[in-house]
Amino acid sequence: MPPTKKKRTRRRTLRQILGGVRRRLRRAAGRTRSVWRRSLQLQVVTSTLVISVIVVVVLGTFLFQQINKSVVESSQRSAASEAFADRLQIADALAPETDDPAKQADGGKQGSGNALDEVMDTVTGSGENGSEKRYEVLVLNRTTPGQSRASGSVVADNVPQSLRLTLKRNIDAYKFDDVSGTIQAIRFRGESQPRLTYVVGGIVHLTTNGRTYEVYHFFPFDDEEELLSNVRLAIVVVGLGLVLLLAAIAYLVARQVVTPVRLARQAAERLASGKLDERLKVRGEDDLARLANSFNEMAANLALKIHQLEELSQVQRQFVSDVSHELRTPLTTVRMAADLLYDAREDFEPMAARSAELMQAQLERFESMLADLLEISRYDAGAATLDLEPVDIRDVVLRAIGDSEALAERHSTRFELRLPNEPCMAEIDNRRVERILRNLLFNAIEHGEGRDIVVTVGADRDAVAVAVRDHGIGLKPGEDTMVFDRFWRADPSRARTIGGTGLGLAISREDAALHGGWLQAWGQPGEGSQFRLTLPRNAGVDLKGSPLSLVPPEIEMRRTWRTAMTPVLLPASADGADHDED
Amino acid sequence: MLAVVAATVLAGSGCSVIQVTGPYTVNDNQGGGDPLNKPFQRMIAIAPQPGWGPEDTIRGLQAAMAAYADDPSVLAGYLTPEARAKWTAAGPVTVIQDAYEVAVPPPRESETTVKVSLKGHYVALINEDDSYKPTAGPWERPFELVKMPEGYRVSNLPQGLLLTESDVARAYRPTNLYYVNRSTQDRLVVDRVRLRLKTTETFAQTVLERLLQPPTEALRGAVTSSFPAGTKIESIRSGEDRVIINLSGPLSSLDLTATTTLTGQIRNSLSTNEIAKGRTIEIVVDGETYTTDLPDSDDRWLDDDVGDSAYYVSKGAVHYLTKEGRGGAVAGAAGEQRDGYDHFAVSAGPNPLIAARTSTGISVAGIAPEGVWQEVIRGDDLTPPTWNRDGSLWTYDGKNGVLLKYDPSRNRVEPVEVPEELDKLDVNQFRIARDGVRVAVTTGEETVQIGALTGEGAGTKLGNLQFLTTTDTGNEIRDIAWRDDEHLLVLVEGTAGQTLNEINVGDGETTGVPLKDRLQSVAAFKDQVLAEVATDNGNKLMVLNQDQQTWTAKIDSDAGTPLFPLG
Repeated sequence: MPPTKKKRTRRRTLRQILGGVRRRLRRAAGRTRSVWRRSLQLQVVTSTLVISVIVVVVLGTFLFQQINKSVVESSQRSAASEAFADRLQIADALAPETDDPAKQADGGKQGSGNALDEVMDTVTGSGENGSEKRYEVLVLNRTTPGQSRASGSVVADNVPQSLRLTLKRNIDAYKFDDVSGTIQAIRFRGESQPRLTYVVGGIVHLTTNGRTYEVYHFFPFDDEEELLSNVRLAIVVVGLGLVLLLAAIAYLVARQVVTPVRLARQAAERLASGKLDERLKVRGEDDLARLANSFNEMAANLALKIHQLEELSQVQRQFVSDVSHELRTPLTTVRMAADLLYDAREDFEPMAARSAELMQAQLERFESMLADLLEISRYDAGAATLDLEPVDIRDVVLRAIGDSEALAERHSTRFELRLPNEPCMAEIDNRRVERILRNLLFNAIEHGEGRDIVVTVGADRDAVAVAVRDHGIGLKPGEDTMVFDRFWRADPSRARTIGGTGLGLAISREDAALHGGWLQAWGQPGEGSQFRLTLPRNAGVDLKGSPLSLVPPEIEMRRTWRTAMTPVLLPASADGADHDED
Repeated sequence: MLAVVAATVLAGSGCSVIQVTGPYTVNDNQGGGDPLNKPFQRMIAIAPQPGWGPEDTIRGLQAAMAAYADDPSVLAGYLTPEARAKWTAAGPVTVIQDAYEVAVPPPRESETTVKVSLKGHYVALINEDDSYKPTAGPWERPFELVKMPEGYRVSNLPQGLLLTESDVARAYRPTNLYYVNRSTQDRLVVDRVRLRLKTTETFAQTVLERLLQPPTEALRGAVTSSFPAGTKIESIRSGEDRVIINLSGPLSSLDLTATTTLTGQIRNSLSTNEIAKGRTIEIVVDGETYTTDLPDSDDRWLDDDVGDSAYYVSKGAVHYLTKEGRGGAVAGAAGEQRDGYDHFAVSAGPNPLIAARTSTGISVAGIAPEGVWQEVIRGDDLTPPTWNRDGSLWTYDGKNGVLLKYDPSRNRVEPVEVPEELDKLDVNQFRIARDGVRVAVTTGEETVQIGALTGEGAGTKLGNLQFLTTTDTGNEIRDIAWRDDEHLLVLVEGTAGQTLNEINVGDGETTGVPLKDRLQSVAAFKDQVLAEVATDNGNKLMVLNQDQQTWTAKIDSDAGTPLFPLG
């Protein structure tokens, strides 16, 4: 079914496009949000802009409505009064009965077309001395012939339908005094564009002869319209200017405040990164200047304290190093004596013989502890150096396993080796790496509770890695970093069976760091633990990743199957924390 | 902070809304222009109503005729389809008095057609050349109406529009147009027409559109126009202090004479009708400025080269009339007391000549110390002499029925062709107007006719004779005098007394001038009107006051026969 397929493809494509757009939008929104959250200045300016726009719009609308109302109302008032005066004049002129004897003399003209002409001449200004009126007049008598007049180019069709109907209703209801008005755009004859016009419609009713005249006045409102549109334009321009001005003011003010704050932040960041001599410039005596002062004082105090602590730490390290050295000489003597005693133990009574053995064992431990202490104090003093040579890491692993086999046998533990077929060459200090691996293996045997220990070697273009996996009690959350602390013990009540000094993993970690490598631990209660050593193939090259996963593959797979919540993976160590590790 | 407080206090304490400012230049762009239009009112016709009877229908029809030019559709609604097909608005417009009567026969149930007649009194005819001819007498026309379900409809009516006086007063404006004297080309001649106001164009446009057309019948062949054929008016706009007339057509700005003539025609045709008065007129041809006429520029187009000279005759001698009254006798023979010379006429120009009629003919004398009477035209039945503005002297020889023209520069008398009908009439007076075109002729004792000198040079002839006024039988037209280009004073001696009428030769509009004394003769020049009054102790000279109502004695005794040059 190719069409369906096609359709499906297209649909998928569309969905993909939508998805892409959505992703892009989300990314942009995220970026905007981040910019927004990070910039105080932007927040201040935006808030000011929004608030001032609201205020200006509200005020501008109110102002314009007021002006509009007053202009239109006053024009309407004056128009209505002019229309009223005209209607009075028309009614007066058309009334056949009048008390004016002069008018009675030519009474024949009253109520005729001439009287209407005369009054229209006056009303429209078309008489001898008439001046042009600003409005047009339409007098309509729909029942008597020849009794309708208009000025200008107004015709009966120009009267808005609604107004005409209103007047008709008023006439039918004998409401001759009611006046109606409407504002409409009317297109007069000979004009191309409609003009805004205020039309006032009133009625002149002559009771004597029953004639009814509809009188319409057309007042052009284009002047008012122009005035109001100018006012509106002015309000918009001024409002816009005001908003921009307020935004500029907000920007400047925020800048005045934010710039010192930003400088302080940058200084704090530099301070945090170890530049303890970072200080802020102090200008003036305002709050920001005081903040800068306080910051500088804090930085100075901090630097002083750190210096003191460093000195103290130095003294302590020196003390440990000195003590270790000083202990070696008497220890050597004690050792020699103890060796003599140990060699002659068979001659002793069982009690004394057992004491000689114990002393021998503890002396060995004491010696190795002293050696470790010396080693670690060498690290502390920065005196440790590497003796690099290209080595196949598989050989190192095999040697370390060989060294550990005796111990493994004692713990009835077996090793499972997973080595690649090709050589895994790396520039390493053979002795130190072997020590690391030995430490890891001893550690795994000690905590492996007799279960198998899996040793995996991996390599890629840049790095080689060795992972040692045991299936012991595992590590509780947080312990994966603590295991590398000096003299740390998972369960203080547990005795050291192998007789480790408590410094092994600490030294291993220092060794790994010396290579520019990582030593990381993973563990879960009941699942055992895994230690992974990652070393660069070439010394001095920064590591970008490890060929082996820190979490054992079977655990990872189980986690994927469950699609359950990922267990929280805390950064394995301080020096590897910045890297994205799986 | 202080500034804000100060500003608030100032704003709140009633600072003036409109600032007092110093003098500055006011640019009156808005509404300062000439409106180019005159406000007017129009008849609005309404469609026939079902309830109307024959009379209302006829009156409605007449109202629809009054509104026909604005909206022809309403009139059609009054007519049956057949009448609509037959009737046309073309032809002269009949003007009757407002109070007309519609005579409706008593209604008969069986008949659907009603024959009514419309009775009224003639007022005038407005011809198709827009000339207005007053007429008098009763007027009656039959109309036929048909009763239809929707009311009465007119099935038969006379051709042409029928308007009342009020309709004409409302929709038409008497308008003066100016054309150029054909023979001398130095003087504008007024042509009076009635122009219908249009809603779609300004009055200025209406006037100029009409000016592009030929003059009325009365001036045909006697005047020319400086507008070449094919000239069109594109627009007329009113600027700040000027009126801009945009023309198109074959106008050449290189022809200076044509340019000045055209400007003169436009300027006078507009300003005498109260348009663009005191404003600069800018004439644009096809978008380029053709000429600009400043309002105070020297306009000699209506100048008669007459100055303020006036004369009177005392004891047979011609005297100057001064502001105080009596002046000295003119130099030469004319200023000497001598019998046998009467009906003096003075020519225009810096060295005027005086002509007089004697028993043997017409004599001419110069106003100079050496001036002597010299008989230039012989004849014993000649009308009083009249001077034309071109310097020629004219008289009509009633005996031979020939119009004679004497040219002083060539010292020759030439006959001028006249219409045949003039031969049959008794020509008493022959007066050429100061514009050199119009001619007033008194035929018999009761009638004044107006003609024009048509053609030019040798082909000049008297033509376009039209009836102007007449008096009842027994009355006698004693004297006529041209007051200005369009007004003729006619002094009538009747059985009931004298009347002096000022008649507009263009549309026959007549204004009476009240008289107290019996006048012997009149003379007029623009706002000055002089008359001779016979008293017990000789003649005296009267002057008409500015109010045009009362007379004052100018010279109490021994003064008569007032004279103005030409006319």
